Amino acid sequence: MQFVYYAITLVFFFFVYCIFNWGLNIQFGRTGILNFAYIAFVAVGAYFTGVFSMGPPTAGSGQSYILGLTLPFPAALLAGGLAAAVLGLLIGLVAFRRLRSDYLAIVMISLSIVLYDVVTNYVPLFDGADGLNGVPEPFTGVLHLNANSFLYVFAAFTGLLALAGWWVMSRITRSPLDRTFRAIRDDPDVVRGLGKNVFGYQMLSLLIGSFFAGVGGGLLVEFVGAFNTSSWTTPETFVIFAAIIIGGVGSNAGAIVGSLAVPVLFVELPKFLPQIGGNPALILEIDNMIIGALLIVTLWFRPQGLVPERRTRFGRLLRAVDRGRPPLPASPAGGGKEAGDA
Amino acid sequence: MREIQAGGAGANDARARGAPDTGAAAHETGRAGARAPAADGGRATAEAALSCTELHKGFGGVQAVRGASFSVPAGHVCALIGPNGAGKTTAVNLISGMMSPDRGRVLLGGTDITGWPANRIARAGLIRTYQLSREFGRLTVLENLMVTPAGQAGESLWNVFFRPGKVRAEERRHLGRALGILRTFGLYELRDNYASELSGGQKRLLELARAVMAGPRLLLLDEPMAGINPALIDRIGEHILRLKDEGVTVLMVEHNLGVVERICDQVIVMAEGATLATGQMSELRADPAVVRAYLGGALSDSVAS
Amino acid sequence: MHAFILSIGFGVVTASILALASMGLTLQFGITNFVNFAYGDFLSLGAYIAWTANTRLHLPIWAAMAVGALGMGVVAVLLDHFIIGPFARRFSNLFYVLIVTFGLSLILLNFIQAIWGPNYQRYQVAAQSPMHVGPFLLTADQLIIIAIGAGLMLAIHLLLTRTKLGKAMRAMSDNGSLAMVSGINTRAITAITWFLSGALAGLAGTVLGLDLASITPATGETFLFVIFAAVILGGIGRPYGAMLGALIIGLATEISAVAIPAYKLDVAFGLLIIALLIRPQGLLAAVGKA
Repeated sequence: MQFVYYAITLVFFFFVYCIFNWGLNIQFGRTGILNFAYIAFVAVGAYFTGVFSMGPPTAGSGQSYILGLTLPFPAALLAGGLAAAVLGLLIGLVAFRRLRSDYLAIVMISLSIVLYDVVTNYVPLFDGADGLNGVPEPFTGVLHLNANSFLYVFAAFTGLLALAGWWVMSRITRSPLDRTFRAIRDDPDVVRGLGKNVFGYQMLSLLIGSFFAGVGGGLLVEFVGAFNTSSWTTPETFVIFAAIIIGGVGSNAGAIVGSLAVPVLFVELPKFLPQIGGNPALILEIDNMIIGALLIVTLWFRPQGLVPERRTRFGRLLRAVDRGRPPLPASPAGGGKEAGDA
Repeated sequence: MREIQAGGAGANDARARGAPDTGAAAHETGRAGARAPAADGGRATAEAALSCTELHKGFGGVQAVRGASFSVPAGHVCALIGPNGAGKTTAVNLISGMMSPDRGRVLLGGTDITGWPANRIARAGLIRTYQLSREFGRLTVLENLMVTPAGQAGESLWNVFFRPGKVRAEERRHLGRALGILRTFGLYELRDNYASELSGGQKRLLELARAVMAGPRLLLLDEPMAGINPALIDRIGEHILRLKDEGVTVLMVEHNLGVVERICDQVIVMAEGATLATGQMSELRADPAVVRAYLGGALSDSVAS
Repeated sequence: MHAFILSIGFGVVTASILALASMGLTLQFGITNFVNFAYGDFLSLGAYIAWTANTRLHLPIWAAMAVGALGMGVVAVLLDHFIIGPFARRFSNLFYVLIVTFGLSLILLNFIQAIWGPNYQRYQVAAQSPMHVGPFLLTADQLIIIAIGAGLMLAIHLLLTRTKLGKAMRAMSDNGSLAMVSGINTRAITAITWFLSGALAGLAGTVLGLDLASITPATGETFLFVIFAAVILGGIGRPYGAMLGALIIGLATEISAVAIPAYKLDVAFGLLIIALLIRPQGLLAAVGKA
């Protein structure tokens, strides 16, 4: 029975990390934005989903936090995603001012630390370091679930959302919009020289990714029922970067593989392992070091990751276009490329 | 290269505005379809596609451009030549909006574009290429062209999800045009290769092909022949002349004076940041000031340097 | 009012610590042209090496400090030689080396935690009572920190202006490729710069630990973006800018702490943002860098 509990939790985390990975993938993998503050967006999503679905803080609970609107779960989840997007908007306004990439990274990481600091110190916001506890279980009143079946149902629900997220991301990454994102990834100045509003596109990419981060965070807080500052330190951002880079930077499928390879295999699984010696945290520390080392090794030996980004061929569209044109003397016949379209 | 943010046009315009505006030159937003009068005749009367007045630009203690003034008649192919350090590339950066001039004005077809941000200038029809090819390495050759047109329907998130038909139709249109351009430049077979996989010469062709795809009114080429073998040079020259036939105005920075002589209607000489002389290659060869600036070296070569 | 005057004194102490740290970062940036995101952990590691020397080998604190600095300098050179350098040379795109330093940061943090544990540690120093120095109230240790800071700034200044090494460093900082073809041994200078960067970081980490009265593995990382603020404010890659930035940020954070005590770091961040918005190239701009 314990094993089943572990397994379901891992399945849940797999789905949630897929969502996280897709979000960072569109920002960093496709548009080249070094968002070292990604975990802060997840946190904002988690906190806001939490305070939207919880009731107002009571004296007995020992917590203090803002809002407390007792909204139903779907609304609270949406609110979490939007809150993260708003954070993205604010940050983008400051950060996307033609800063070179390491300045951007500095702003992002500083932001992450400051947010962490503010939330920890200003307790009335989200209950400081203790965080939120007792987030009401979703689906109560709609479905009658005990503790175990809730896990199954919610994990399945997260899986459905992950499927929806996969569909949305695939549409985006096969579109001309994504092509512009990738051009910006390569050379923003040249894209400006083509007449495009680079700032707008970077902002859009940031917003899309932030929304995914926020929704993922909301799912996290609803599954676990609690959320505090220990869940979103800077190393967490790194885990997600490692996941998408090892899985395959720029690739949505790679993000899925990455979710399995890094967070599930290396972060969540070890939590269930017995402790070494007297040091409870030692496994975690070795674990983190391994992730860091794995990332560096991957970047050196296989920078494209396990599932490389797919090359765009205009197969179907090309054939449609070529069909309509008069035959040219020296051109090869038709489109010829049978590989799947973009 | 330090970039100055040319944010609101206000501050920069005020700084650059020396003389009062020339008044109501029609603000042309059309692309290459607007045909300009053919090469010869009417040169003095045809409206200048591009005109620069008293451009100044300094970096730290160095004055890269000091009082450069020249104009490029519409529908002509002109060259900007000069010894190294003459300020040619800086001038190109000023014109294309990568930097703002400290003083002076730039007019594109009568519209004052001084201080405009690069993307606004590009949308007005001025497209530039770069000295060192700046292709999008992780996009395929075909994608490099497909990404070029501004304001595509498919670049809007709304359209991607709610107007897929419109996006597809526009993609088909762009694709047809892109394939045609690729065929013209002989890059069709390479269309699915990543641009980073191309050879130096092929990247140069891609650079030019991409500029053509953008449908410019004025093409600003920064050393298009640099590092290219002679056979390819001729082909690129032919492409440029073909563009001229289609009504595009071309200004190119070049060191290869042989090519300049073959395809350019007019040559502008810069030295030490200022305009030295303007005219035909033959006239300039006889001009003592020009000869001195080049130290007699490159000018006596008619062959590719 | 009195508190404000006292805070200026503390501000000078913080500025001294910050100056050491900022100098290390900016010197390294000037030569390599990328930001080392593991720099905060350089501070921590240096502080812990010094702590081991101090509490296990029973060296007096100032000797331990030197050990920490030297140790961290060596580690920095090794990290550059085996990991950072190869990535920087292989990939022209900044992303790779930035992520690698980000990864190193994670590795170093966990390494420190695994070896020394996550809890607070203290140096073995005699208890001190603050003395009146002019209008300020400072302990003898704090005065020594100021002296170390000022002394090293002077030393760096002399290094950069009077020695061949310093001139080579300035040449590389201005124009790396030109320096390379001018016969400057860029690999050696890079290694020396990393040593200096690590040593300054180790030193800064130790004095930070002295000033804070305790160290944790995350101390350096948390301080990192105050360092960023100082470096960017002064102009990244500019040593004198780093000094100026350190002074401004140091004073600003301490003075503001009188009014809003818990948010020192956030004041530094606010200044960082303002600096980036108004003048991203810094107060003493470096031409051709940012």
